[in-house]
Amino acid sequence: MIKLQNVNKYFYRGEPREVHALKDISLTIDDGEFTLFSGASGCGKTTLLNAIGALDSVNSGKIYLDEKEITSLSEDERTTLRLNEIGFVFQAYNLVPVLSVEENIGFIMKLRGFSDSEIKQRVLEVASMLEIDNKLLSLPHALSGGEQQRVAVARAVASKPKIILADEPTANLDSKNSQKLMDMMRELNIKEGVSILFASHDELVKESVDRVIYLSDGALVNA
Amino acid sequence: MFKLILKMAWKNSFLRLSRTLLVVLMISVSMSMMLGIAGLYDGMTLNMIDKTKRSESGDLSIYAKDYRVQKDIKYRIENAWSIKKELEKRDGVEAVVLRIKADGLVSTARKSSFASIIGIDLDDEERFGRFSEFLKKGEIDLSKRGAIIGIELAKTLKVRIGSKLVFSTQDISGEINSMALKVKGIVHTTNIGLDTGAVFIDKQKLHRFLGTKPDEAIQIAIKSEDKKLLEILKAKYPALEVKNFLELQPMLKQMQDMMLIFNGVSFAIVMGVVFIGILGVMYVSILDRIREFGIMLGVGMHYKYIRLQIILESLFVGLTGYISGAVLGVVLLIYLRDYGLDFSAFSDALAMWGYESTIKGTIKISYFTNTFVAIMSASMLSVIIPLRKIKKLNPIDVIKAEK
Repeated sequence: MIKLQNVNKYFYRGEPREVHALKDISLTIDDGEFTLFSGASGCGKTTLLNAIGALDSVNSGKIYLDEKEITSLSEDERTTLRLNEIGFVFQAYNLVPVLSVEENIGFIMKLRGFSDSEIKQRVLEVASMLEIDNKLLSLPHALSGGEQQRVAVARAVASKPKIILADEPTANLDSKNSQKLMDMMRELNIKEGVSILFASHDELVKESVDRVIYLSDGALVNA
Repeated sequence: MFKLILKMAWKNSFLRLSRTLLVVLMISVSMSMMLGIAGLYDGMTLNMIDKTKRSESGDLSIYAKDYRVQKDIKYRIENAWSIKKELEKRDGVEAVVLRIKADGLVSTARKSSFASIIGIDLDDEERFGRFSEFLKKGEIDLSKRGAIIGIELAKTLKVRIGSKLVFSTQDISGEINSMALKVKGIVHTTNIGLDTGAVFIDKQKLHRFLGTKPDEAIQIAIKSEDKKLLEILKAKYPALEVKNFLELQPMLKQMQDMMLIFNGVSFAIVMGVVFIGILGVMYVSILDRIREFGIMLGVGMHYKYIRLQIILESLFVGLTGYISGAVLGVVLLIYLRDYGLDFSAFSDALAMWGYESTIKGTIKISYFTNTFVAIMSASMLSVIIPLRKIKKLNPIDVIKAEK
């Protein structure tokens, strides 16, 4: 379960250009939810996603992941938390260019210390679910955008994190690939029981999720 | 995990192939040049040391006390022959020669010069220092009135093969005597003292001329690699003066030290070039991939693994540069060792300093081990600044920047 209590985030605090990016956000997301943060550009959905993912700090308020308060963690503890608990899918895929698809998918598992046989088995399982099992030996640059995004999803999900945070995952994909990606992520959500949180203004994503949380100028419109 | 990081580092090292190859080329060329220079410097010094040992000092020399200060034949070793025989029986002693010497004046009809007349046994000298290899003109012949003189002395006296000389000196009774000599050979030993002022004649003839006994000598020169021999002989012959070649030729010691400094400076310059080269490549490479590192940190890769990857990348570039530099360096050093560099145009100036006109290099394993350590150290040091950049990197800044 993810719980946010009165979370505030400012950019350029104390400067004339100060922005109040998250305004007193309080909400709860249950395990296994398939949720979207939606709103216009600059409304704070990515900032909120990054704060939940321990990528960004907040100025006040508390964020809990399964009762564990994460806003007061050190940088090193946050890195460990991201490694063990959270999977990330970025807009620009961000695969490691010198590693094959197989190595990219198994990358987080390798960092977490899984054995080679465990990694191989899980990579095959996830790759087959995301229909990229025939591309395992390819390098990222040899794949299409849709395939690269599926590899990124596979990498995020392979180590079985509790939460997957996906920031504009369909932004660089055409509608066909976007639909396919969302179908696959829904399947992962059901099969693996993983909570998936999106930040997107894509209507297709909105149609695919169970819950939409709207933000406007950094504040929740409905929760 | 290490295997994966190793693979990433290796592949990333050569991701921008032309840039990496340029640095590798820079390292290998500067390294091979440095090896060549070090080989030549050492070759020059070792050549001089070798020839000085062979022509004069040996590894060790024994003199009568005070001879080296007074330069008078009354300070001679009286039982030299028996000492020679004793030394020749010792393990580790390769050769021993006895020499008799006197300072005096050598003259032609038109010119005269201060010189030393040295009585030698040609067979012993050949065994001791391959004396015949010093011959530049004429022949090795000390029979009858035959004399062999140093090349610079021959120039000073303006004598040729067959020219006549008169050598005048005091014998042991204090009388000044002269002997007529005929130049049979001219030698170039690269030992300045001998080249500018030595007249070699048959040892027995000089004994008779000076009135000294055949078993006496001014110098006992010993060829031996035994490092303990100096102290043993000092203890055994306390009434005599036993010196090693560096004590006898302090100039060579200074030259050795000077060459060490030259090599050190060349070494430092090359290492500086390597450091700057790798630093440049690593810095640009990291700036190019800053997003990649930010994402890695973002997804939970700890800084220590990124640091290891960067260090390995730098070491791979350095190692590749080192290997190619070592190959180039070996080829260059072998050429310099076998053929040398021809400086005939400066032969007079070089001869003044005791060098040959063709300078040959030498090869030492230490060149390669020292360079390896230095290049690997430079490679490690060169990533400090780029790593500081990554250390300060906040993954969120990279993630925001991509949007």
